[in-house]
Amino acid sequence: MSTQMGRDVYVVGVGMHRFNNDALPTGDMGYDAGIAALDDAGLDFPEVGALYNGHLGGQIGIGVRVAKDLGLTGIPVTRVENASATGSCAFGEAVHAVAGGRVEVAMALGFDDLNRVGGIGGGRKKGLGAEDVMLPAAFFAMWATRRMHDVGTTVETYAAIAAKNWNHARTNPMAQRRADHEVTVEEVLASTLISYPHTSKMACAAGGGAAAAIVATEEVARRLGGPMIKVCASQQRSETYTDGHVFLGAVIGPAQMTRDTSAAAYEQAGLGPADLDLVQVHDAFPVEELVYYELLGICGDGEGDKLVAEGETTLGGRIPFSTDGGLTARGHPGGPTGLAQIHETVVQLRDDAGDRQVDGARTGLCHMAGAGSVCVVHILQRS
Amino acid sequence: MIATDPGLFRLPTGDEDRPRLLGSHAAESGLYFWPRRRRCPVSRTPVADVELGPTGTLYAWTFLHVPRMGNVSFGDSGGYAVGQIDLPQGVRIQAPLVGSQDDWAIGDEMGLTLFPVGVDDDGNELVTFRFEVVR
Repeated sequence: MSTQMGRDVYVVGVGMHRFNNDALPTGDMGYDAGIAALDDAGLDFPEVGALYNGHLGGQIGIGVRVAKDLGLTGIPVTRVENASATGSCAFGEAVHAVAGGRVEVAMALGFDDLNRVGGIGGGRKKGLGAEDVMLPAAFFAMWATRRMHDVGTTVETYAAIAAKNWNHARTNPMAQRRADHEVTVEEVLASTLISYPHTSKMACAAGGGAAAAIVATEEVARRLGGPMIKVCASQQRSETYTDGHVFLGAVIGPAQMTRDTSAAAYEQAGLGPADLDLVQVHDAFPVEELVYYELLGICGDGEGDKLVAEGETTLGGRIPFSTDGGLTARGHPGGPTGLAQIHETVVQLRDDAGDRQVDGARTGLCHMAGAGSVCVVHILQRS
Repeated sequence: MIATDPGLFRLPTGDEDRPRLLGSHAAESGLYFWPRRRRCPVSRTPVADVELGPTGTLYAWTFLHVPRMGNVSFGDSGGYAVGQIDLPQGVRIQAPLVGSQDDWAIGDEMGLTLFPVGVDDDGNELVTFRFEVVR
């Protein structure tokens, strides 16, 4: 079921507009991120053969309109939407456009403000429907209570994962939440209770922002002369039927999607979990990151709590997760989120991450889940 | 009394004390689904309408500390609960729960009940469904 690439693809440029809660025009932020990625690559827009815009907002045609400021070059511009995984899917489309021979250079550009996007849980004018009851905080809270029942996970473990990600973001200039102090487990637990056991500091930071990545053939990448960051795997899956399948109200589908998508990515890359130096995941709530340790094969089922207790997924640990703060603290604007993961991974693989640098980082995995639902996994490696 | 989602459940009739969910059964795969499917998503064979419930087992839950659900206010109760309930036919349902988090535990038997959510423009009471612990 895994997709294959016809020729090798490299990430040659990344750029971001800092994630924020400032209600800025999304198109302006998108333009900034696009220009930043072009500058980073050393490319001018006419060299981009195709543009894939990741945007959740409702405006028809906005992908093409935003592209006009980058340049009226006549290239195909396509808007991609797959909920939280929008940016990851836009990146995947750009990768496959190069891999499949459509173009030599492609850009993925995400821009959004999640505070201005209607979504799951939106009310109706009259009465109440079964789709209206569920906030994402509540859906993942049910993962959390079930895991507490099955594995004995404590609320302190959930809080420890959130605190870790808050602290990872402290030196990330692109992060929405940058605490001026070391965030503690006690501080996370003392924040407002939203949906048991989730508190406000465990919930991802919804806001605005933009992020972009440019991919190219090996020939173009070598000409540009930067570090060679290869896309070793690009996999995207939707749901398959599992026991206990929830068809109505589930924010995302069975956890098995992450296991299947990552297995396909590992097979495509010829790599395994032991080869990874850092990982970015859809940590909208800490139970997700905890479960993904296991579904991505970093540890055995039920052993994720031990990784947290031993600090193995913290910067400086064996396999750091959410090194830029993750959705928890770097933020989750929607369309740009998956591209921020690519940005962080590329910066780390270039050894440019400053105080949060993972020593000797060579291989990174990016995972996103999106409502509907979908799962996307990319593996990048410096060669 | 009017069901807000008549495609998802029906009101109790006759001497029934609980509503029923409206699902599908695929004879070839043997699988049950809720809500109704156009065809079996596993075997891609025809499905027949079937009624599901009215009782199951609590699989997971949470309590939301927010005062409103859609346009329904919870006043002084501090919020509302949502759970996932496994029906005997192998179907998992996500729905609101009656009560607060001291009232149940994972594995408890839960039963369908009606949930008043307002009135329509003609003054008719609107109801959806939720689950309560079976005592």
